[in-house]
Amino acid sequence: MPILRRILTRLLVGIGVLWGAATLTFLAVYLIPGDTALLILGGPDARPTAETLAQVRSDYLLDQPFIVQYGSYLGNLLQGDLGQSYRLRLPVTDAIGQQIGATAALAAAAVAVALPLTLAVAVLSAQRANWIRSIVSGVEVVLAATPTFIIGFALLIVFSFSLRWFPIGGNQGVAALVLPALTLGLAVFGTLSQVLRNELEDVLEQPFILTARSRGMRDLPVRVRHALRHAAIPVMTMSGFVVAALLGGSVIVETLFSRQGIGSLTLASVYNKDLPVIIGIVLLSAAVYVVVNLVIDLLYTLIDPKVVTA
Amino acid sequence: MNASVIPPARNHRPVRRLTTLSAVALVALVSGCAGPAASTSEAAGEPVSGGVLDVSISAEPGCLDGHGISATQQQFLGRLIYDNVVTLDENGDIAPYLAESWDISEDGRTYTFHLKEGVTFSDGSPWNAEVLGQNFEHMRDPATKSPLAAAYIAPYVDGTVLDEYTFEAHLEYPYTPFLYTLAQSWLGMNSGKAIAEAPETLCQQPIGTGPFTVADYQPGQSITYTKREGYDWAPEWVEGDGEAYLDGVEVTLVGEPVIRHQSLVSGQYDLTENLAPQNAAAVQADPNFTYENLPRTGSPYVLSFNLSRAPFDDLAVRQAFAAAVDTAAVTESLGFGTYTPIDGFLSKESKYYDPTVEGTLTHDPERANQLLDDAGWSERDGEGFRTKDGRRLVVEVPTVESSTPSPLLVQLQGEARKVGFDLQIIQLPQAQLSELRYAGDYDALAGVWHTNTTDVLFIRYHSSEITGERIGQNSSYVDDPALDELLLTARGSDDGPEAEEAYSKAQHRLLEIVPGVPLYENPSQFAYAKTVHDVAVDTSHPVPVLTYAWKAE
Repeated sequence: MPILRRILTRLLVGIGVLWGAATLTFLAVYLIPGDTALLILGGPDARPTAETLAQVRSDYLLDQPFIVQYGSYLGNLLQGDLGQSYRLRLPVTDAIGQQIGATAALAAAAVAVALPLTLAVAVLSAQRANWIRSIVSGVEVVLAATPTFIIGFALLIVFSFSLRWFPIGGNQGVAALVLPALTLGLAVFGTLSQVLRNELEDVLEQPFILTARSRGMRDLPVRVRHALRHAAIPVMTMSGFVVAALLGGSVIVETLFSRQGIGSLTLASVYNKDLPVIIGIVLLSAAVYVVVNLVIDLLYTLIDPKVVTA
Repeated sequence: MNASVIPPARNHRPVRRLTTLSAVALVALVSGCAGPAASTSEAAGEPVSGGVLDVSISAEPGCLDGHGISATQQQFLGRLIYDNVVTLDENGDIAPYLAESWDISEDGRTYTFHLKEGVTFSDGSPWNAEVLGQNFEHMRDPATKSPLAAAYIAPYVDGTVLDEYTFEAHLEYPYTPFLYTLAQSWLGMNSGKAIAEAPETLCQQPIGTGPFTVADYQPGQSITYTKREGYDWAPEWVEGDGEAYLDGVEVTLVGEPVIRHQSLVSGQYDLTENLAPQNAAAVQADPNFTYENLPRTGSPYVLSFNLSRAPFDDLAVRQAFAAAVDTAAVTESLGFGTYTPIDGFLSKESKYYDPTVEGTLTHDPERANQLLDDAGWSERDGEGFRTKDGRRLVVEVPTVESSTPSPLLVQLQGEARKVGFDLQIIQLPQAQLSELRYAGDYDALAGVWHTNTTDVLFIRYHSSEITGERIGQNSSYVDDPALDELLLTARGSDDGPEAEEAYSKAQHRLLEIVPGVPLYENPSQFAYAKTVHDVAVDTSHPVPVLTYAWKAE
């Protein structure tokens, strides 16, 4: 059962990645200067009493040496306990659970924008007249290079502030999802489409394409049935980039559009040095990477049976 | 009591109708107006029941239990779900709320509260003397992690339940601000049942007696409130009876100021709790919106000096810095004309504000230069900054890290440079800033401290509030026996001439100490659609109160 063994190996490596991620984040946040107890108790306007400070320090083991804090954290983690948010005062799993749906919806919508757009544009524009390719490629480069914040703002100014077609922010309803998904999706599309067209153009030079055409196949079926399948593998390798763009972009998009989600939770947690939530989010992101990579790995075999990975 | 010295005009209603007048004229008018409250809203017909009010807020506390937080937004959010033991009426005087009356013993250390009967929490449990005691305990329970409420009731020793509706609170020493602090949103009353059974759930599911209840809370996103059925105990100044008119209030976090403005104008929200000053003029000019710009009480925006180390341990240097800053110009550009400059250490709307402090700390660059020359900072280095014994006149001002440096500090930097100060803005993450702040490792800090009691002067400038064993807010490290004496007398005296005299002297003493540069009154600015009526304004902190607000069809 080589396939099962492969999954198992991958999972073990994945667990190692998760442990590494948890440890590195713990270390990084631990090393950031600043008294966490003071931070928990409200920052500059607060007047916490000495008893309250002492309680917080002992509750969160802040008065213990690093190794005790780290050991206790790992121990709890093994039992599935991510700890309690300093700021929200509820379990980290709940804090993330409350937000994950909104971000998943945003990411799915962004993919729903980016993938069809990428496929359509790349398939239709590969090996076309130079001026078509220049225009399309130019648009892609601009979209890929422009910070998400600017794309989002431009969309807001046009479609919300001026035309008032869509709400300016918030989580209510499908209409509120359109602009954020478009913002996030366009950034992903810009890069993916470039990669896919380059691949397609290479593939379209191949002899088997000529063979297909000589059999009298029309242009579009050749591109979709023969070329696309071969060009898809490098694009799938880009999945890691897509996941990163979606997770990273959600921080900006959710802030700009006042949306609930993991992105805004990340930002608020980093600002407030909410260590348990930060580590929780890093672990979640690492887990998403591990799973996505595993799935992609298996998909390679389906698309091209010749591919054998260790 | 002299009405010209103690402005009775912490009444915000006349202010609301005068927002188009210049700020200076407004303050003069308000302080001179001793009459009762004028009627508030424009004639709009009979209130309509129903509808949900959509509100945008600038930040969200992460926890809705007032006892456990110090977030500014609680001033507004707390009024929706909580009632307090007492309230401040339209004149800023203590008035009945969940307590119908109270007696204070001769020595000012025993408060006997006679509570209102028939009040219930939204979980069905009753309000009574035992619950009041539970609330005091909840505030100071270290597990509540209270950053604010616990300090406000610090003199509270214990309490006795005399009968079901009579509670006796014992204080360690006479503390007149007690009732004022009990009127603040952060000290709203939580359900005794919830405190006893599941205090850890109060952050996410707070239970009060207020006009609305929390139906759904999505941290970092929104809070959904629904009308509390059977509510009938609003304080008199809110002017209404029975349940709220609105079916509910939907509060959404909208962090970006430009988005808050645009989404208000587009009609997505009916009211925004925080309108950025750069958008004030646009909303003010729009006939479809009501714009409010209300001064807050307490400590105005001040650049506080650190008196415990050089260079601000030298009075002459402090006086020089204060004289170097053109407060009017800084305020004008910073607030886009919506801020009022101030030259004293107490907000003008505060009780016992003494207008005779005005005109002492004035912009006078010549005097600033003279003072610095005389203090030995007479040499200049290559970049034009003053030096003494080869050391440059540096002022380090840490501030929270952001994408753009604080516009205020940049302006002050320019002002100070004109007389030879090298003001250095040091941007740090919040955690690091807090640590620096409590370690006293800075030359100056900019900030405000709003509260409804003039005891703010004690909180900011009494030597016992210097951070040591305990975290304090005397970030200027003022340690002046004469001032200490005055502030102690003031907080120990009943409201009246004795307190007035002590507070007046304290305000003048601060002008001699110069613990910082007073800059401007930090106002509460909010706006709402003209279709929304009867939005009342709190007098503890000037935020909108929606108890009897209603939306026209």
